[in-house]
Amino acid sequence: MLIQQLSPQRNRNRTKAIAARDVRMVYQSRAERHQVLKGIDLEIPRGACHVLMGPSGSGKTTLVSILAGLLTPTAGQVFLLDREITQLSPRELTRFRREHLGFVFQGFNLFPALSAAENVEVAFNVKGIRGKAAVAGAQSLLDLVGLGDRRHYRPCDLSGGQKQRVAIARALVGEPEIIIADEPTAALDAQNGQAISQLLHHLAKEQGCTVLLVTHDPRLLKYADTVHYLEDGQIQPQDSSRARFYLNSVA
Amino acid sequence: MVSIARKNLLEDLPRFLVAQAGIMFAVGLVAIQTGILNGFTRSTVRLIEDSEADLWVASEKIVHFELTEPLLTSQLEEAEQIPGVAVAEALLLGVGRWQTPQGQPDPLKIVGFDPQGQLFQPGYISEGTVNSLLQPYQVMVDRTRLTSLQAEGIGVNGTVNQLPARIAAITEDSQSIPASAFVFTSLDNANTYLTSSLSTKVNCQLQENDNLRCTKVYENSGAAAEVNPGTAPAILPLSQTDAITYILVKAQPQQDLTALKQKLEAALNETRVLTTAELSQITRQFWQTKTGVGWILGLGAAVGVVVGMVVVTQILYASVSDHLKEFGTLKAMGASNGLLYRIVMEQALWMAVLGYVPGMLLCVSISVFAAGQGIVILITPLTAAAALGLVVVMCLGSGALAIGKVIRLDPASVFKA
Ligand SMILES: Nc1ncnc2c1ncn2[C@@H]1O[C@H](COP(=O)(O)OP(=O)(O)O)[C@@H](O)[C@H]1O
Ligand SMILES: [Mg+2]
Repeated sequence: MLIQQLSPQRNRNRTKAIAARDVRMVYQSRAERHQVLKGIDLEIPRGACHVLMGPSGSGKTTLVSILAGLLTPTAGQVFLLDREITQLSPRELTRFRREHLGFVFQGFNLFPALSAAENVEVAFNVKGIRGKAAVAGAQSLLDLVGLGDRRHYRPCDLSGGQKQRVAIARALVGEPEIIIADEPTAALDAQNGQAISQLLHHLAKEQGCTVLLVTHDPRLLKYADTVHYLEDGQIQPQDSSRARFYLNSVA
Repeated sequence: MVSIARKNLLEDLPRFLVAQAGIMFAVGLVAIQTGILNGFTRSTVRLIEDSEADLWVASEKIVHFELTEPLLTSQLEEAEQIPGVAVAEALLLGVGRWQTPQGQPDPLKIVGFDPQGQLFQPGYISEGTVNSLLQPYQVMVDRTRLTSLQAEGIGVNGTVNQLPARIAAITEDSQSIPASAFVFTSLDNANTYLTSSLSTKVNCQLQENDNLRCTKVYENSGAAAEVNPGTAPAILPLSQTDAITYILVKAQPQQDLTALKQKLEAALNETRVLTTAELSQITRQFWQTKTGVGWILGLGAAVGVVVGMVVVTQILYASVSDHLKEFGTLKAMGASNGLLYRIVMEQALWMAVLGYVPGMLLCVSISVFAAGQGIVILITPLTAAAALGLVVVMCLGSGALAIGKVIRLDPASVFKA
C-alpha cells in the first residue's frame, strides 16, 4: 500500500536530481582562509543510490550541506530537481526542503524523549499532517523499515541500527524525491552498517527516490549505483589514480 | 501535533522540579506579598466597608478615615432633618491610652458609636454583647490586640485615659493593622474618655506690641485614676456642643446619592460628604502610598518575578541547548520558525501552569495557616488571576529569550556529529 502511495513514476521525466556548477566554499576564520571546495561540478541523475566518498576532512559534509540547501556556498550554483536552490530565499528554501528532501544523520538526531513512532510523527507534523493520519503514516513507515513492533520504544531502548532505521523512516515521511544521508553508518558496527546501506539502496530501488549516501567506508561501495570521489576540494574522476589508491588502500 | 514540548520538559525530572520550584517561589512571593498588601489595606477600611452607611459626613479637612477634624454634635440633628436622609448616626474617634495595673501603657484609638444604631458595624462580635457597651466604662476590643493590651480576655479591667475601662466584649475582623488598638464603646463613654480627663484653661501672654495673645489650652487634669467603676466620675453624655467625628447617613430608598451629598454639604457648615466607597478609596490610597508599604511589598513581589524568570530562563535555555541537535533536525526537515516558537513557548506555558497550580495551593494554605496566627494574607481571585498572568508572561518571556538560540541555529549544524 505504501509502495503505491510513494509512486515511483512521479516526475520521472525530469532527469537530474542534483546538479552543481562550479561550487566553491571558503571557510573564513579570523586568522585563516580555508578553501574546502574548489569548484565542484556534479550531476546526479534521478533514482538509484549514489555514493559520495572521500577521506575524512575532504569536505563531504560541507558539500552535501550545500547540496541540501542547508549551507550557502561562497560561489556557484546548485540545482535540485531542476530548480536553482541557490536563488531561493531562506523561507522558500525551508519550504523546498520540507517538500522534497529527507535527511539521515550519522548521530541519528532522534528526540530522546519521544518514542520511535512519535519521532516519525513529528516529521509528519512538520509537513502539515497531524492526528490519525500522522499516527497511521508513522506506523506504516516503521513497518517498512522493519520496526513496526518497536514503535513505542524510546531511542535509548533501541540499538544503533534500529535508531538509524527510525531515522530512515522519518526521512521517508512525505515521500521526498531526494534523501541525503551523511555517514549514516559511521556510528554503527560493520554488520548494522551493511544492513542500513542495503536498506537505503533497496528504498532507492523500490521507492524510486534518489539517495545520496555519504561515506568514507569503501565496503559500502557495493550498494552504490554510482560513486563520486571527493578529494582536494574537487570531484576526482573515478578511474583516477587517487580514487583507486584510496579505495584500494582502505578496502 | 506530538507534544515535543511536554515530553522534553519531563525528560529530565530533577531539572523540571527545580524549574517548578523556581516558579512556585515566584508565585509564592507575588501572591503572599500582594496578599499581605491586600490584607493590610483591607484592614484599614474594614470599619468603613462593613458599615451600612451610604454617606459619611466629615470635616472638610478630612485626609483619611483616621485623620480628620471634628464636627459638632448639633450637626447630627441638622443632618437628620434633611429630606432624603433615612437614618443619621454619630461616630466619635479619638486617641487615648490604655493601661492595666501592672502593664505598660498602650496607645489606643477610641471609637464611640451607637450600640443600638443600625449603621456602624464594629466587626463581628464573638464574645459579650454590643449592648453591654451602653453601661458606663464598658469597652470592646479586637481579639488580635488583646496581647498588646496585656489583657487575657473578657472581664479584664484597665484604664483608658486614666478612667476605668472593663473589656465587656470581644470583636473580630475590625482592627486596622497599622492603627493603634481600637477600643469600641458607646458615644457617651467615648465622650467621657475623650473629654473628662482634660481641663481647659486660658493661657494669655503679653506680646511685644502690647497685645495680649490668649490661647485655650486643653490639659490633662492629672486626676488619679480609679479603676473601680463604682467610684469613677459620672459619665458625660454627648451634648450638642461636644465634638463628633463622622455622621453616618443612610439614604432613603431610591435616593440619588450625588444629589443628597450636595444637599448635605450645603446644609452642614464646613463639611465634606463622601460615599462609603470614596472614603474607603482615599483611606486605602493613603496607607498604600503615604506609608510606602505598597512599594516595599511590591519590591518583594518584583524580586520573586525576577528570580522566577532567571530560574525559568536558565532551565528553558538548558533544555533548548540540550535539544539543539533535534531542533536543528526539525529545521533541516523544513520546520518553520513559527513551529519552533510554538514548541518552545508551549514548553514555557507548561512550566507556567505546572508551577502556578502547586504554588497557588501552597499560598492559599499559608494564608489559611497565617490567618490562624492573626496575620491577614488576603488572596483574592483577582490576585490569583494576576499572579497567573504574571507567571505566564514571565515564562513566555523566558521562552522568548531561550528561542533565540534555536532561531539563530545554523541548520547545517545537523550534520556535525
Ligand atoms: N563551519 C566550519 N568552519 C570552518 N571550517 C570548517 C567548518 N566546517 C568544516 N570545516 C573544515 O572544512 C573541512 C571539511 O570538513 P567536512 O566538510 O566536515 O569534511 P568531511 O565531512 O569530509 O569529513 C575540514 O577541514 C573542516 O575542518
Ligand atoms: Mg563529514
